[in-house]
Amino acid sequence: MITLIAETLTGVFTPPFRRKEFFQQLHFVGNKSLFIVVFCVCFAAIVTILESSFHMKSFAAIVTILESSFHMKMVIQNDSMVPGFAAVLILRELGAIVTALLLSSRVGAGYASEVGSMQITEQVDALKMLGIDPVNYLVVPRFLACVLGGMMITVVANMACIFSAMAVSQFYLGYTPGMFLTSMQRFVDFKDLIFAMIKGACFGGVIPLVACYFGFRCQQGAEGVGRATTNTVVVSSIAIIVIDFILSYTFSYLY
Amino acid sequence: MSMITSFLDQVGATLLFLQKILRTMMFKKLKTHEIFEQIWKVTVDSFPTTAMAGFFVGAIMTVQFAMQVKEFGALGYLGALATSATFREVGPLLIAFMLSGKVGAFTSAELGTMKVTEQIDAVRCLGADPIQEIIVPRFVGIIVSSFFLLAAGLMMSVFGGMLLGELFAGVNYEEYLRHVPLIVSPVSILSGLVKCGTFAVVLATICTYQGYSTTGGAKGVGRAVVATAVTTMICIVVMDWMTSFIGDIILTMVRGFRP
Repeated sequence: MITLIAETLTGVFTPPFRRKEFFQQLHFVGNKSLFIVVFCVCFAAIVTILESSFHMKSFAAIVTILESSFHMKMVIQNDSMVPGFAAVLILRELGAIVTALLLSSRVGAGYASEVGSMQITEQVDALKMLGIDPVNYLVVPRFLACVLGGMMITVVANMACIFSAMAVSQFYLGYTPGMFLTSMQRFVDFKDLIFAMIKGACFGGVIPLVACYFGFRCQQGAEGVGRATTNTVVVSSIAIIVIDFILSYTFSYLY
Repeated sequence: MSMITSFLDQVGATLLFLQKILRTMMFKKLKTHEIFEQIWKVTVDSFPTTAMAGFFVGAIMTVQFAMQVKEFGALGYLGALATSATFREVGPLLIAFMLSGKVGAFTSAELGTMKVTEQIDAVRCLGADPIQEIIVPRFVGIIVSSFFLLAAGLMMSVFGGMLLGELFAGVNYEEYLRHVPLIVSPVSILSGLVKCGTFAVVLATICTYQGYSTTGGAKGVGRAVVATAVTTMICIVVMDWMTSFIGDIILTMVRGFRP
């Protein structure tokens, strides 16, 4: 695994650069996954804002209690915090991780079964025979495409997420978009978007590495491909959650 | 247009398959031994993964909430808020995603391999009903064990939250748990568990259907696994929304106001 990572990273900077492959993969990662990701993330956003409206009612109560008991000097218009709170949750956490998990199941499983079937039909060996490094040919374009695609798709997903949250808060909770944006402004920084992009890039990079690792180790037959795909989805989603935790922890010192 | 029709086609076929399973379950003898074997196998296989996922989900939520709650100087309520958010919404969703990768992909790969290597046809040749022999034990086993696994993952998320509350925000365990009963009402726990149950049924239906309808060799198995992972995630998100929405409506009717 570590060898593969090292080889990929060196492959990024050594020629030949395979531009056509890269754009093909970028199309696959970015364009074809976009619909599913946006759809799912919108639903997730709707649920989040419904749920966080529930939280904030209780949170408002808490703040009121605290205020009266500790005579805190804060004056908070409690209700107007709901959208801002949801937006923060979406941008910092939910958008990136839901997108990444969807990508890991769609793109990662796709790559694993693709590379796995290439391995068992001896196409990888054929590449080696022709003097082409399979890591350079297969992994590097996918890696780059996923890093870039993950970054972009996270941004798009976050935007879609916030729009749908806005729509729901308008129709269901009765906050106008103006109120939404105002309270969002109080909570959300531009930093949040940058951090979300970094998260998306990291998650995107993990997926093809794991997928190609299991794809190259794929054993003969239908069972082998199935197992490689399953392993990819499991390992990459665990890796994503762990990396997310590490990144959240790191970023929390940067605010 | 063809995309929409093929989508509807898939939905219809899945529902018909579910109906077939349910009918077999009702009218034919259940293979109790097989079911217990499946439950045991799935649980043992996936427990470490789920527990780890749950732990980290709790930890992430605590870190995120700590940053926001700190601004209001309300760190004492950190535990209650993080636990409530994890239990009601984020926990079931993310842990179910993990489980769909683990259990769903594994089962559909297994069934797909059986289908492609004609083992399912062999069972039919021997005069047994493949749905009764192979699908129903897995269906029931997955529902029971993934419900259990999701609940266990939620428990682990509380531990993850407690640990990070101590390490990250300096809230000790006692303080972390003090306000939990105030916010995490039985309704919250119930809604979390209802979500877990729904996700388990969705997962079991889709992975058995996709595995059972695999065609076309090694590539077909790969394709079935990808389809399972993607479809399950979409359906889980949609079900998540629907359970939240319906639960909200029911609560409003019972209490007479929005909670």
